[in-house]
This record gives sequence, structure tokens and C-alpha cells, in this order.
Amino acid sequence: MPAKSAFVPVKRISKSEFKDKEKPAQIRGSNIVAAKAVADAIKTSLGPRGMDKMIQDGKGEVTITNDGATILKQMKVLHPAAKMLVELSQAQDAEAGDGTTSVVILAGAMLETSQKLLTKGFHPAAISDSLLHFASKAVEVLESMAIPVDLTDNASLLKSANTALNSKVVHEHSGMLAPMAVDAVLKIVDPNKDQNVDLKDIHIIKKLGETVEDSQLVDGIVFTQKSQGVGGPSKVEKAKIGLIQFCISPPKTDMDNTVLIRDYAAMDRVLREERQYILNITKKIKAAGCNALLIQKSILRDAVSDLGLHLLAKQKIMVVKDIEREDIEFVCKTLGCRPIASLDHFTPEALGTAELAEEFQAGDSKYVKITGVQNPGRTVSILLRGSNRQVLEEADRSLHDALCVIRCLVKKRFLIPGGGAPEAELSVKLTQYSHTMKGMDAYCFRAFAESLEVIPGILSENAGLSPISTVTELRNRHARGETHAGINVRKGSISNIIDENVLQPLLVSTSAVTLSAECVRSILKIDDIVNVIR
Amino acid sequence: MTADSVLSIQGKRSSGSSVRQENVIAASSVANIVKTSLGPVGLDKMIVDDVGDVTVTNDGATILKLLEVEHPAGRVLVELAQLQDEEVGDGTTSVVIIAAELLKVADELVKQRIHPTSIIAGYKLACKEACRYIQNNLTMNTDDLGRECIVAAAKTSMSSKIIAIDSEYFSNMVVDAAMAVRTADGKGGHKYPIKAVNILKAHGRSATESVLIKGYALNVTVASHAMTKKITNAKIACLDFSLNKEKMKLGIQVLVNDPSKLEAIRQREADITKERIEKILKAGANVVLTTGGIDDLCLKYFVEAGAMAVRRCKKADLKRVAKATGATFMTTLCNLEAEESFEVSYLGEAAEVCQERVCDDELLLIKGTGARTASSIILRGPNDFYCDEMERSVHDALCVVKRVLESSAIVCGGGSVEAALSVYLESFATSLSSREQLAIGAFAQSLLVIPNTLSVNAAKDATDLVPKLRAYHHSSQVKTEHSQLKYYGLDLMEVVDAFESNICLHAEFIACRYERQGSVMQDQNPPGRDKERYVRSLAEDVKGHLNANDLRPAYRALKKLRSMSPSRGLGQSCGASLGNTKITDLVFADDAVIFAESLEVLVMALEVLYEEAKPLGLGLLAQDPGLVRDCKKAGVFEPAMSKLKQLKFATEAAITILRIDDMIKLEQEASKESGYQQALRSGQLG
Repeated sequence: MPAKSAFVPVKRISKSEFKDKEKPAQIRGSNIVAAKAVADAIKTSLGPRGMDKMIQDGKGEVTITNDGATILKQMKVLHPAAKMLVELSQAQDAEAGDGTTSVVILAGAMLETSQKLLTKGFHPAAISDSLLHFASKAVEVLESMAIPVDLTDNASLLKSANTALNSKVVHEHSGMLAPMAVDAVLKIVDPNKDQNVDLKDIHIIKKLGETVEDSQLVDGIVFTQKSQGVGGPSKVEKAKIGLIQFCISPPKTDMDNTVLIRDYAAMDRVLREERQYILNITKKIKAAGCNALLIQKSILRDAVSDLGLHLLAKQKIMVVKDIEREDIEFVCKTLGCRPIASLDHFTPEALGTAELAEEFQAGDSKYVKITGVQNPGRTVSILLRGSNRQVLEEADRSLHDALCVIRCLVKKRFLIPGGGAPEAELSVKLTQYSHTMKGMDAYCFRAFAESLEVIPGILSENAGLSPISTVTELRNRHARGETHAGINVRKGSISNIIDENVLQPLLVSTSAVTLSAECVRSILKIDDIVNVIR
Repeated sequence: MTADSVLSIQGKRSSGSSVRQENVIAASSVANIVKTSLGPVGLDKMIVDDVGDVTVTNDGATILKLLEVEHPAGRVLVELAQLQDEEVGDGTTSVVIIAAELLKVADELVKQRIHPTSIIAGYKLACKEACRYIQNNLTMNTDDLGRECIVAAAKTSMSSKIIAIDSEYFSNMVVDAAMAVRTADGKGGHKYPIKAVNILKAHGRSATESVLIKGYALNVTVASHAMTKKITNAKIACLDFSLNKEKMKLGIQVLVNDPSKLEAIRQREADITKERIEKILKAGANVVLTTGGIDDLCLKYFVEAGAMAVRRCKKADLKRVAKATGATFMTTLCNLEAEESFEVSYLGEAAEVCQERVCDDELLLIKGTGARTASSIILRGPNDFYCDEMERSVHDALCVVKRVLESSAIVCGGGSVEAALSVYLESFATSLSSREQLAIGAFAQSLLVIPNTLSVNAAKDATDLVPKLRAYHHSSQVKTEHSQLKYYGLDLMEVVDAFESNICLHAEFIACRYERQGSVMQDQNPPGRDKERYVRSLAEDVKGHLNANDLRPAYRALKKLRSMSPSRGLGQSCGASLGNTKITDLVFADDAVIFAESLEVLVMALEVLYEEAKPLGLGLLAQDPGLVRDCKKAGVFEPAMSKLKQLKFATEAAITILRIDDMIKLEQEASKESGYQQALRSGQLG
């Protein structure tokens, strides 16, 4: 050994050096194991027959959910690589809104395959490159099997919303929630122009009580506050609505300033002035023709004093106070009114008009609903009801998913079949494609293509079917060219899934494949974890 | 579990069947707590909280609320009871029991390798089918049955409560109270805002001395003893501001240079209020109720005017008083000219306002309110716990009455609906060929927990009673002529004497229109004691044949027995009571009692005898079957809505818990150290 002398100084720190050689593989292994554990944890909640998770946080609050992103967010995983998967599901939630569970499961499956490849001696970089290629090819295949959809095609939209809702706790109400989601999105987009939907324009108001069936889509706006004032109207037809940002209460003098009274007659005047001041405001409001007044929340002083309420009630003006500042924009957009910051600007032009503003009783509390807005903006409100907090929260999340699905269709107007069909198709097509390649790439390609079959596998397992026979039959059907064959969970068999109305947006699947591939690539590329101790 | 060690989270995670089992155990232990308080013979619970406050109650929702259940699945059930309490107001105990039983049975099925999702699907289907069946077949319209059934429904709700003994008295009171607050909802129907029924409690005297007041009772007294205690033809002003000396607001300073003006300012402060009072009195008010205070100084104006002034009324009470009397609830006196004024139209009217002494307290009673009728109930009881429990019971009863009046649909109580549903669902399940069949069967089975618990609580033999009840319902659903049997439920209050308790099952047949062919040969009748012995042997014969399921000989023996009866003539009934030591005197007996060892035999006997008797012109009528009775006749009613919601809520809760296969309990983040570093230290990251 000629270089023996050169090795001597190295040997002094030999122990750690020797370990370091093994370290990248160890780190990678530990990362993959941790990330896979995350995928394993949520795989039972995939699909229409998936189960729920109950999560009790440190404060004792309980969440019951089926939504992958929510589960992972609540779970508070510790391992950094596991956290990457949590973020992956969040990314899918932001991008597509649905398929948050399947994206994590896909990533888990890809990681498992990578691990096998790694043990065979493949270099991580090679696997990573081939994965990139794989993802882009997968998207191509997916696009080739996509069915174009028109936004006017209500039935198809309904089907895809239904598919998204089917796995949720509230799925028995999907017959009602799905049309609600479709109507809500269609109301706020212009099908010809819009390429995206701002879900902020859909206001979801949660109100405890009744059951989910009593939820409703409100063409207008709902306030969870009750109407104020005793003796004031609780129902106003042909409402002229004003939204004010100033207060109807006696102005406070600055800290240093005081009003001085030297005479008892002045006392009367002070009292009268106050009344006069408030009366003046209310009269001006009335003079502008307003009969329903919304008042922005004020932290400095009472937004409206008792006297003000009394006078407004006397003039038959309905009052809703404590409108949050961030809601102002939405309210204005919906009602077609302008926020009025000063009494001088209180003119008829700034008011919005609506057919009806009415107060409703909901269990112990009340809410105010304004409907029949004359020149409505592109907004919509959904009033969700639920018998308990958990159901209500889950209904909210499920509805959000359904809305996102419709949004995906606005973004990318293609549908693909659900029920494991796209994954099975990808697996078959990409395996075929891998035969045309050579070298390491071909090997990786085939391995990854096989890993995609995990989705139909879990789907059938969750449905209580035998995964092996189901998946093999599915593969067989796809190999024979039945592109739309999928797992029919309800009947427990393989059938043309489009006939079963199980459809999902293309965007959900493509983004799931690309996002999970990217996530796996970045996990593969990590070869060291450095702990910085503060 | 391997997944645990790999997936490092800040807390505990358990999954699979262990979670389900744990949840089911938690749910059933919650249900077990309230189980004994179900039904008319249910017992109460005494709950002592950490401060030492004692609550004695029979109300499921109240018990569970006070328990502070920690397990999340148990909490779901607690919330379920609360939900039922809010939505219906009654049936809180049974909803929890049903939900827990559904879970328990589902767990059994899961252990038999049936996938939870199949069970869930089956439960949903069963619930839907059950609700449909209740609505179509079991509900009765209250309009056909009149007021009695509303009173009976209230009585049923009270029967399990502390006031059960006086339920006759209270049920009428509750119905009257609910009727008094009836308001039109503007859509042709009526609403019964039972919150408007003011319930006051005062301990002392007996429960039956509780009174219903047609009017409004306020737990306040007049401000000054100099005031009159009773005013007829009262004009009432309701104010939401104080009649104190006017104080200037913050930021207004009174600066006096001339000491002589000081007095003037003080005078003015008092005068401002005085003017207000004068304005009110001038409008004709002789009763002034305010939520704020009244200065002693100002009281004298009221005393002088002979008016009654009351301070510190509760705002919610006063709003209702305003509604009932037609008064305007005034927050200020300001009018649209920025001046203060009080108009006559602001006043409300009542026939009489008076102050009465109840127990240690003085109450202000407003009777004969002008605009709407109002009602208040003053409950009396030996101690505070008793009064509290009475209040809860009366509230439950009020809720029941409200539901009955609003939906005007009732069902029979006493476990009859559950028994009917279980029979129906079982036959429905057999008509299905899918996987849900087992789950629906389980659903049907678990509904029986209600009659079971009812009879166990009443110290009756549930294993005997419940099948009997089911047999009745089966026959009602199979045979159209027996359809009246569907209203049969358990009779838990009946006093069973030794004679009856010896026999587990019996039914009585009345033989009517027994036509005798020709005259009875009297010389054939063995005389005296021989006759009795002969009858006894015949009776044994009948019984033996019945037990052996041999009906024809049994009938023949019975017929022979009949012929023994000396009574004769058309339309006269005869018979014998047999199978026990107390043989009925044949001369006076007007019915034959048959005892069989099992219910199936009895029902079959009934059917065959019926068929056999027909050609003879012998009518058979099953009547008064002892421990099972016609709840419709007995007046055991519950609002249909309560049952429907119970089923729906219980199924929903059971499904919610059943769907959970993974539970993650996070630990509280105690230290500031990041979770990652902790994990690193404890070597979880491996």
C-alpha cells in the first residue's frame, strides 16, 4: 500500500470518519422509513370506504376527520422527512384541494420502490432523474385518457363533486352538498373568461344546530349576528342596505380635553346635545333611504350606543353590528354597496338594494339573511348546519374539497375516471413504455410503474375486497385496453367506472403525481441531517 | 406496534381494532351510567362535584353534562345527549343507550370479520327504513285523540321523574302552561315558545302545592314598602335605564365659581330624573318596571302618585313582560325631536299586578296580561335539590308538549316502538340479499335494549317480557286483523300479585256469543266436588296439550270444559280458569284463562282457537295481557319527533365512532424545547 503514510493523520479521527461513509445511506434509510410511516398512517382513510381518524390535541379538543391534509396537520409529526410529506399534502390541498390522502400514499409507494432500488445499488441521483422523467411521462398518459368537460355540463360537474364527497363523514348528504358546491362555483365564475376561482368569494358560514341536511346555499349574504335594538324590525322587504364604518355613539373627547360646565342649564344642554347629535346621524341615515344598517366592529368605543339603537329602531331601520373589518370587502362585493366612512358620504348611491333582509332563529341563536340582491357581485354564501361541532367542521372541510374539485375543473377542464382507474392505466402504459427504453432508466421506470398500483390496492383493501385478486383483474382489464375500468366499491367488482359516475378532475391526478415525485426526489437527495443546537 | 416506533409524533397513537374496542367500551360505560335511570321505574343519580355541590337527577343529559367524561368517544355520546336535549328536550337517556348498544353490536360483527363499512351502510339503511316505518305505521295524529293524549304524553315524560306520583296534577299544569304561550307563527300554524313559561322555584310545602299562574311571575319586590302591593287595571311601563340622579359623562367637568350655584346644580341633577318620572306617571303608568336602579330619592314620587315601582328586574324577564302586556320596552325616553317624552301607547296593560309572599320570597305577579296570555309555574318542594329536579322534569315535559302540539304526531311509549321496529327490521333484513343484512339484523336487535332496560329497571324478567312483546308486534304486522296490537308496550307500573307472578305468560280469552246447541243435560254433570276435580283434570288436559303444541285436542278439551259450565243461553259467556291453584268458580267466571309455557305456543293456540271457533260462532278476543298492554289505551305516549330524532342521532353518533380506526392523542406541549430535539434525545429518530 503506497499511500499508507498519507492515511495516518486521517486515522486519528477515524471512528467518526468510518461511520460517515455509511451515514448517507443511513440517513436516507431513516428518512424513507419515517416518510413511509406517515403514508401508512393515513392509508386507511383513502377511498369511499375509508375510515376516520380521531385526533385529540393537547388541550383535549377532538377532531374527527377523513381529510388527509387535516389529519397530517393535526398529527404533529416530529421527523423532518415525515414533515416533508405533511407539507406535500398541504401543497396538494392548495393546488388541487382534493386527493390529499392519495398524494401521500403515492409518495410513500414511490419511496418504498426507491428504497428497493437503492439496496440494489442504484445511485440516488439516477433514481431521482428517472423519477422526473417518469412523472412527466405519467402526466402525458393521464392527459391522453382525459375527457374534456364543459362548464355548462352540470351533470359531469356534479359527478366529480360527488366523488370527492363520497369518502367523507358527511357523504350521506352528498346529494345535497354536491349541487351546492357546483352552484356556488358556477355562480362566481364566468365560464368563458375565468381560468381560476377565488374561493374567498364563497363564504361558508358555520352555525351549530339542526342537521347537515338543513344547510343551504344563500344567494346573498348571511350574518351570524342577530339584529340589534328592541322594537326594531326583524324583517325588511325591499331593503336599502348601508354599510358604515363610523360609530353612532357620542364622540369621546380626547384625554386632555374636557367639557366644562359652569351652569345647571348647561347640564340640560349637554344631555340634549348628545341626543341631538345621535338623532342627527340617524335622521341622515333615514333620509338617504336606508332601512337596513350594517355597522363595522369598532374597538375604540361602542359602534352604536343604546340611544342610537333606540332611535334607529324607532325609524324602522334594521341594525346588524360587529361586521368584521376583513369581511367588509366581501359584503360590499355581494351587496353592491360602498363602505361609508363618514356621515357626509352617506348618500343613496352608496347603498345596496336587496329584496329581503330577515332575521331567523336557529336554535338558541339568531342569524340575519339578506337575499335578492339587485346588482349582485360574483359572490355566494353557504350556510352550513351541523348537529355537533365535529360534524360541522368536517362538513366544512368536505365542502371545501368539493369546491376545490370544481375549481380544478375551471382551471383545467378535463375529467378522468376515478376508482383507481388512472393509476392502473398509468401502471400498465408506463410498464409498456419501459420496454422501449434501456439502461438504468428502464429498470427504474418499471419499478415505479408497479408502485402506482398501491392506490387500487389500498382502495380495494379499505372496501373489504381482496387486494390481490382485485388489482390483478384490474391490471388485466387495462392491459386489454379497457381504459375506464376501475374498482366499483359499492358492488365490490371491477367495472367501467365512468358508468358508475365516479369522476375526478384531471388536475387532481396530475398534480398528485408531479408533487409526490418531486417530494420523493428531494427526500432521496438528502444525505445528511445537521442538528443545530441553539 | 411497529408503526408507532417508526412514526414519531408527539403523543400516543393507536389504531385498528384496539381503538374500536376502546371506543366501544368507553361508549358503553357512559351508557351504563345512565342505564338505570331509564323508564318509569328508573332511579336517580346523585352527583357531587368538586366544589361539593349536589345534584340529584334522573335526566340523562344533566347526568352526563356533570360527569366531565374525558374519553373522546365517550364525549361524543355526551354531546349526543346534549343535542337531543336541545333539539327535542326529552329522550336523552334512551338516545345514549341506543347509540352505545349499536356500537356494542357492531363491535361483535367486526369481530366476526365483517368490514365496518358494511355495517355502517347497513345501519344507515336500517335507520332510514325505521324512520319511514315510524312515520307511516306507528304515528297517531293528536287531532284525532284530543287533549287527553297531550296530557298523557306529558305524563309519560314525567313518569320517570321525581314528580311521577303527582304526574296527573303536573301534566295538566304543563299542558295549560304551554297552551297559554301559544303564538301564531304567521304561516297558519302555531308556535309554542316554551321559554316564555317562567318557572320559579321556592322550597317549602309539598310538590302538589305548585301553582300555575296565568300571567307572569317575577322574582322581585316593589322598591319601597310604602308602595301599594296590589294594583288592578295596571298600566305598565317597562324601562331599560336607571332612574337615578343624572350623572354627567366622563370628560365633562362641572366647574362652579359661585358656591351658591352648587346647590342649583345638585338640584338640577335630581330634577332631570324627576322630570322623567313625571312624564312617565303623567302618561298614566301606575306600575313601572325597570332593569336599572331607582334612587331612594325618586321613590317618593312613585309613592306619592300611588304607583308601584320595581327595580332590578331581569332584562329577559322584562322583555317578555313587555311582549305579554303590550308595552314598549324603552331603552331611552328620547323621541325623534331629540326631546324626552313618554306616550300612552308605550304602556302595557294587565288586569292585576300584585305582590305575593311565597315561602321566604316575595313575588310580583302580573295577572291578566293585555296583549298575550302568559304563564308562569311556581314549583314548591321540600328542598332545593327536589325543586331543581322538578324544574328539569317540568322543562322536559314542556318540551314534549311543545313537540306534540307542533308536530301533532305521537307514538306509543313503553318500548312499543322499539319492539315494533325490531320485528319489522328483522323481516326487512331477511328480504335483503346483500352484506347489509347482518348489520340490519344487528340494528333490530340493539333496539331491543330499550324494552330490555325498561323491564330490568322495573325488576321484571326481561327475557320473558320482551319476546312476548315482540310476539304481539309480529302478529300485528303479519295479520291485518291484529293490527291494533302494534300499540302494545310494556306495562311497568302494574302491581303484580303472587298469583300472577307465578305464571310467566298468560292471556285471557273471552268467549263471547257462545251459542249452545240445545239444552245441557244436567244429569250428566257430576255434582259438587267431583265436578271440580273433573274440571281440574280437564284443565290439566288442556294445558298439557297446549304445552305439547297439540292444539286440536287442546281445543277439544277446552270445549268439553266449556260444556261443563252450568251457565247457558245465548250470548252468555262462560269458561274456566286453569293451570293454577286458584281455579275460578265456573259459575261466575266469564272467561277462560290459558297458561302456556312459551309465548309461541300461546300465540299459536290463539290463532288456531280463533280459526276453530269461527264456525261455531265463537269469537275470541285477546285482552288485557297482563304485563304487556295497549299503550294507546293506557295513554303512554311520546312525541313521534322525539323517537325519530333519537334514532337518527343515535345512528349518526354510532357511525361517527364506528368510522374511527385510528386515534392520536397528542401531548400537551409543556416545555419550550422543540419537539424534534426531544425526539432526538429520546432516540426516536434512530
